[in-house]
Amino acid sequence: MIAFENVHVRFGTAEALSGITMMIEAGELCALVGPSGSGKTTLLRLVNRLVAPSRGRVFVRGEDVARLDPAKLRQSIGYAMQSVGLFPHRTVAENIATVPRLRGWNAPRIAARTAELMALLHLDRSLAGRLPRALSGGQAQRVGLARALAADPDILLMDEPFGAVDPITRRELRTELRRIHQATGKTIVLVTHDPDEALELGTQLVVLRGGRVVAAGPAASLIAPGADAFARQLLGGTQPGLRRFALLPAAASVVPEAPPQGAPELPAEASLADALSLMAESGATVLACAGGSLHAEAVLRQA
Amino acid sequence: MRALPQLLLALLLTLVASPQGAVLLGQAIGETAAPFPAERLLSLALAHSGLALAGAGAASMLGIVLGIAVTRPVGRGLRPMVDAIAAISQAVPPVVVVALSVPAFGFGLWPTALALLLYGMMPVLRATTGALEAVSPDARAAAEAMGLPPRDVLLEVELPLAWPVMQDGLRVALVLSVATAAVGALAGASTLGTPIVLGLQNQNAVLIVQGAAATAALAFLAEALLLLGGSVARR
Repeated sequence: MIAFENVHVRFGTAEALSGITMMIEAGELCALVGPSGSGKTTLLRLVNRLVAPSRGRVFVRGEDVARLDPAKLRQSIGYAMQSVGLFPHRTVAENIATVPRLRGWNAPRIAARTAELMALLHLDRSLAGRLPRALSGGQAQRVGLARALAADPDILLMDEPFGAVDPITRRELRTELRRIHQATGKTIVLVTHDPDEALELGTQLVVLRGGRVVAAGPAASLIAPGADAFARQLLGGTQPGLRRFALLPAAASVVPEAPPQGAPELPAEASLADALSLMAESGATVLACAGGSLHAEAVLRQA
Repeated sequence: MRALPQLLLALLLTLVASPQGAVLLGQAIGETAAPFPAERLLSLALAHSGLALAGAGAASMLGIVLGIAVTRPVGRGLRPMVDAIAAISQAVPPVVVVALSVPAFGFGLWPTALALLLYGMMPVLRATTGALEAVSPDARAAAEAMGLPPRDVLLEVELPLAWPVMQDGLRVALVLSVATAAVGALAGASTLGTPIVLGLQNQNAVLIVQGAAATAALAFLAEALLLLGGSVARR
């Protein structure tokens, strides 16, 4: 869906990205994670031509973006950012309708789509006629996300979209984003400096450092022993083993034998970290899970 | 009502400028010369308004166009030069512009129109560039990222957000224009400066008071009308 081919980006004398070659498949939620200044936002902005590569090529849906009309390309890709950037002189509904209006949708279609998006993002109907200054931070982020999704783009770019809201709202919005990703199957590229957010949301993670990709792949593989030390340290922190176990499902290690009498019950969708936690709490070395048993040895064998 | 003080002042000054008012005032300071007739004052006021409007209109147009041009990526390099030209044109007194352009344009309207254009341009240019630069960078970035073409970013995001501040510049330009149009009388344009020039030539203080009061009344009236127009447009 999105491909980078030996891409370099230079701002003045500083090289922001060097030699990036990677692919983002359709339907992935790809989290770009790394410290500030690592080039993750620049990488994101290459996709809709807000930044042009000084060398190399960027392909979107198989086409070299340098050959596409930037306005048309950007209208076909949703974009949400930390500062939201709602238009202060336009109502919530008008803000959401920006791209559909640019694309010449008729009024009934725009109204229907706006209502649908407000429902999807749990925005109260009464907010439609309000100006952005009357919104809370969380509401503004939701409107920004609705605006990015308005013309139903198959690609959504998000630049630290939940950076400026309080932790509770952030958790809600993350859950919502995961729900939207699962429900719509869109390709989402998410920039974040928060390893937890990347681990929680990303089906694919790309770890950047100093303008280079140091590691890429599914979250669990990047924390596994033997993975790139920087990525492991960034994502795993001081407990990489537990972080990785939190990403692996317990059900895969369950054996189909009757659990011993009184074994503590582990929910079927729990992770290996949940299993370890329950064992640490109960002192049991065998847990009942999904009709079978989960042995401590089987859990540790996943390490 | 925001424009009430201006309207009241305009009314008061109109009373002072009227022949009856000027005669009363003249008697108070021991001046007995004949006043300027009301109907001639009115026709001069009309000519004065037309000239001031034309000058302010041209200055506004030029100021807005230049202000937009120097805030675009391609025009940014011209910014220091345009700022310098606007500052110089404001610094040269209108009287000098009128006097210097008489040899080029002859007597009549044109020297005054040129002076008004130069004099009114700077407030509009300053307000336009300032207002465009104050537009929320987030809103501009979002507009660009969503695929608004540069023309739409300007027309749908930047100008609507900048307009309230730009209006202040337009108001200053019009009031300046109404006030300075009086100078045009020196170059033979029919304006409310005409009674002042006549009064100075004939040492008739009543005429000077009439011309000055009428000019000021017109300037206040223009400001009041713009304030009213602005608050109607905002609703």
